[in-house]
Amino acid sequence: MTSDKKPVLALFYCQNTHASGEDERQALEQKYGDSLKLFPIPCSGRLEPLHLLKALEDFADAGYVITCPEGACRYFEGNLRAKKRVERTREMIKSIGLEEERIGFLINSKEGPKPLTDLADEIMDRLANLPPSPVLGPSVQGRATGSRQRSKGDKV
Amino acid sequence: MITAEQKPIEEIREMIAPYKRILVAGCGSCVAECAAGGEKETGMLASTLRMAAKMDGKDVVIQEKTLDRQCVNEFVIQLDESIDQYDAVLSLGCGAGVQAVAEMYPEIPIIPALDTEFLGETMSQGLWIENCLGCGDCMLHYFGGVCPLARCSKQLLNGPCGGSMDGICEVNPEVPCAWQTIIERLENFKALERLEEVYPPKDWSKKQGRGPRKIIREDQQR
Amino acid sequence: MIENNKLEQRLKEGAFAVTAECGPPKGADPEAVMKKAEMLKGKVDAVNVTDNQTAIVRLSSLAACSLLKSAGLDPVLQVVVRDRNRIALQSDILGAAALGIRNVLCLSGDHQGFGNQPEAAGVFDLDSIQFIQVVKTMRDEGTILGGEPLSKSPDLFIGAAANPFADPLSFRVVRLAKKIRAGADFIQTQCIYNLDRFEKWMEMARDRGLTEKVFILGGVTPLKSVGMAKYMRNKVAGMDIPDAVIDRMEKVPKEKQREEGINICVETIQRLKEIEGVHGVHVMAIEWEEAVGEIVEKAGLLPRPRS
Ligand code: SF4
Ligand code: SF4
Repeated sequence: MTSDKKPVLALFYCQNTHASGEDERQALEQKYGDSLKLFPIPCSGRLEPLHLLKALEDFADAGYVITCPEGACRYFEGNLRAKKRVERTREMIKSIGLEEERIGFLINSKEGPKPLTDLADEIMDRLANLPPSPVLGPSVQGRATGSRQRSKGDKV
Repeated sequence: MITAEQKPIEEIREMIAPYKRILVAGCGSCVAECAAGGEKETGMLASTLRMAAKMDGKDVVIQEKTLDRQCVNEFVIQLDESIDQYDAVLSLGCGAGVQAVAEMYPEIPIIPALDTEFLGETMSQGLWIENCLGCGDCMLHYFGGVCPLARCSKQLLNGPCGGSMDGICEVNPEVPCAWQTIIERLENFKALERLEEVYPPKDWSKKQGRGPRKIIREDQQR
Repeated sequence: MIENNKLEQRLKEGAFAVTAECGPPKGADPEAVMKKAEMLKGKVDAVNVTDNQTAIVRLSSLAACSLLKSAGLDPVLQVVVRDRNRIALQSDILGAAALGIRNVLCLSGDHQGFGNQPEAAGVFDLDSIQFIQVVKTMRDEGTILGGEPLSKSPDLFIGAAANPFADPLSFRVVRLAKKIRAGADFIQTQCIYNLDRFEKWMEMARDRGLTEKVFILGGVTPLKSVGMAKYMRNKVAGMDIPDAVIDRMEKVPKEKQREEGINICVETIQRLKEIEGVHGVHVMAIEWEEAVGEIVEKAGLLPRPRS
């Protein structure tokens, strides 16, 4: 990771959402490089809030979830559940003084579904002015420590 | 199952503030079922607390481990290999789990991360209800499988009270009147006349005898 | 027959009895009790003293009963099982009898969550029916729970409450029967506004022969305003106020509503007098004790016979 101040986004998206295949993924990776980390998930209902938190803890300034339109979830209500979980996770980061905006939720539109690339652009625009996360600290060093601690924790 | 809810993060942070190396200990049994202290919740809490510490510029180590059961010594003992690294344990076990860990490692302060609530049932995803007080002398056969101690707000053994209306408890409109349910059940079994008799006072010594209760089973002992 | 018990005497003579209610003050204030005593004296046969009603801390029912007694009234000690376990309940029963209190009304009590001490632990060690049975055993067998004998039995006329309007209706009479079996000598009912349903309940009680075994006093509460009527209908558990009553209150101008409330109350009493098996009326004029005399007079129940 370079030392530029661009916010890093961890973007979780439902693979069933409109135009979210390999092409879009590559296009986004080229465009944003290290500022965007993409995580396709089989259904947004599978999203674990823990993933969002770990992303914030380890490397991301923000964590977002993109789901299919309401009523269009292939697995019935996965997107609604995801929404509630994201809300709860936002509450958690708020309680430690992190800006709520660092966690977000985007529902693809039913009438005019947008491709993943457009949605990612929208979120990146929205985050353009987000200050660096106080969790990650000023240095690359700090970020690495976070993940080292975690892997140690897992082994306990 | 024993149900619990996580305490507010602020409260937890206050309790752990004096410590530098903290083990966040989850439990994979009851509190995992009620989504309060299982592996996921333990991970989330630990992650959140680590972030909070970093934001405060505090140099603390917060690591997590989830035991299969925190209230059984055979599982608690798995902490043996690493417990010395920590100066406090934040437990996401129920009250029994917290105490089992405290008993095993009396030299390390233990902090409860959960508020233990009740003995209950998972009604549906995300909904748990209290239905047993652990009174030590079960009477469910008599009351059509509905516990009047846990589910009637006034613990009436000769209910319903005068406030039962439309099947709703007078004390809490979100709660069905347990006695309405008891009557309906007994009607189904054609056993309503049972309720014409006065049910005698409860023997509470079976619940709150002299000090904490104990179960001893010699056939189970080594 | 219990000595000096006007209520019991009146009921046993077959007269239409009148009781009222007195709420003790929220303070150590005997004058407040005495003032209410003055208002009720000569108007009623006995006066119920509520026990921390709606779970709000007030001067104790036992103390207020003792004050009423000294003022020459026949008090009915209300005791709720919410705040006392079986040790305290039995002890208070003995204390009440020793102070010369001759009537007790055994109740569950409003849940502690409603009052000004919502953080209190609810006791509910006995329920009201078990409590009735305990008092009866103390009186008739001279023993406490568990069978130990008393040096002297408490001589008490035992009352219970009944709500003909709560659900399920079919079970309401079963519960009344249960209270009688447990030992209730008299019953005071929840406020009656829905006379049709009350009559139905009475009919069911008569069919089971219950009116032969217990004295039933119909409860009435004068409405002060249409607001109060609506509040009671919507907010007070187990209260049944038909639309017709609300309409009637609504039709009169505000300043006449108290009068209308009293009229409704008097008419209810007149109907109660006609119902077979109703032995009296219990007037609960909540924080409006001065209305009791007027109601009783208009209902043709004055003067009360002296005993
Ligand atoms: S009767 Fe006792 S043991 Fe049975 S469900 Fe109720 S509290 Fe639990
Ligand atoms: S309404 Fe039903 S559940 Fe509630 S206190 Fe009365 S009898 Fe118990």
